[in-house]
Amino acid sequence: MPWTDEELVAKSISGDADSFNELVLRWERPIYALAYRTIGREEDARDVCQETFLRAFRALPGFRGQAKFSSWLYRIALNLCRDWVRRERRTPVVQPPEDVDLIEMAAAAEPSESIEDLVARKDLSRLVERAMALLPEEQRTAIVLKEYHGLTFQEIAELVGCPLSTVKTRLYQGLTVLRRELAKNHKAQL
Amino acid sequence: MTDTPFCGYDGDREEALIACLYDDGTNVPERALFEAHLFVCARCRDELAGLRGVRSQLARWAPPEPALDTIRNPPPAIRNPQAATSWWRQLPAWAQVAAALLFLGVSAAIANLDVRYDASGLHVRTGWMQAGAAAPIEGAPADSGTRALVSTGGGTPWRAELAALEQQLRTEMRSVRTAAAQSTAARASSPASDADVIKRVRALVDESEKRQQRELALRVAEVIRDVATQRQADLVKIDRTLGVVQNNLGVEVLRDRQRLDILYRASQRQ
Repeated sequence: MPWTDEELVAKSISGDADSFNELVLRWERPIYALAYRTIGREEDARDVCQETFLRAFRALPGFRGQAKFSSWLYRIALNLCRDWVRRERRTPVVQPPEDVDLIEMAAAAEPSESIEDLVARKDLSRLVERAMALLPEEQRTAIVLKEYHGLTFQEIAELVGCPLSTVKTRLYQGLTVLRRELAKNHKAQL
Repeated sequence: MTDTPFCGYDGDREEALIACLYDDGTNVPERALFEAHLFVCARCRDELAGLRGVRSQLARWAPPEPALDTIRNPPPAIRNPQAATSWWRQLPAWAQVAAALLFLGVSAAIANLDVRYDASGLHVRTGWMQAGAAAPIEGAPADSGTRALVSTGGGTPWRAELAALEQQLRTEMRSVRTAAAQSTAARASSPASDADVIKRVRALVDESEKRQQRELALRVAEVIRDVATQRQADLVKIDRTLGVVQNNLGVEVLRDRQRLDILYRASQRQ
């Protein structure tokens, strides 16, 4: 029988480092995905993910179990994402190293997938990503938490600190904008 | 005017649509009511279908595979924030004061500081100067190497105090050395050894390089596609332009021939 989050938290607080590692293993992907979908940059999402666990580790002795551990973790991650969005950081463009043959590298990148397939796959994802980027932060967060993390309306309301009806309204408005934008892009592609 | 059909749902339509779309088990009666409404309302049916379509498109958006090793194995400073502070910061205050005094003592030794106190007053001079160059502090400094630290005319026994200070410094030097040795031993026995740190840094660097290579490959693929498309477009454009040029040239040649023909005929008549 695997340990529950709360049991692992209790063990971590009493000094068992392995228990915290277990929590990290359990939650790193959801937290990374949340960060990536909120801020849209892989590198920064990884930073946010790492910082989330670092803050959680530091604040663990103060965690009294009023909320679920996952909700507490999500809240830390969301606050960090919000800070990131406010700062509107921009990372520098990646510069190719001098001794790297770009053509050769492109050919060796994914031999089983043609360049067209690769680009098409990225394009599909990018369309959604671009449409999501148009949404206000509150609507985007509500959609990400509901759609990709399966949180209940009540859990989202508690996490973001707003009434339940507001969560539903944000979801509706966000999905309506997405519907319009995706339809527009679809027409443009035809 | 819009041709959207009228919806006569009594409750909050937006909330009901969302509840129906996600069905997380809350507010069951209202949901049942809205589902009954869906049978008679084409507008709500269409909108619900549209929102379901959006959800299926959202499912296509997968974040890139994260390099989770760096999250799982952050540098030692992140794994154990307590270890991030330098070892010397963990020394007690008295040891840090002793270290400061030691530093002063060593500086004085390097400068070969000579302090004398006799009937003519207090003399302080550096050892790099000639003995004869020393001058009493009471007057003006004899040379630039001499520093007047304290000027006193009383008969205070400074030598004894200086000897005591020297003794104290030596004691503190010994204790600081012991503390430093203990700290070094503790560092050596801790799991975050230098080799471990280097290994982690290498792993981080490798991971970063791989990530950059992936990103570059993707960008290059995009560039290649763009270049190929642009090339094709340019070829078509060049082809068309050549056709136009050839056409114009043909017309010009024809006109020239006609002109020559007219001229030839005219010359024949004459």
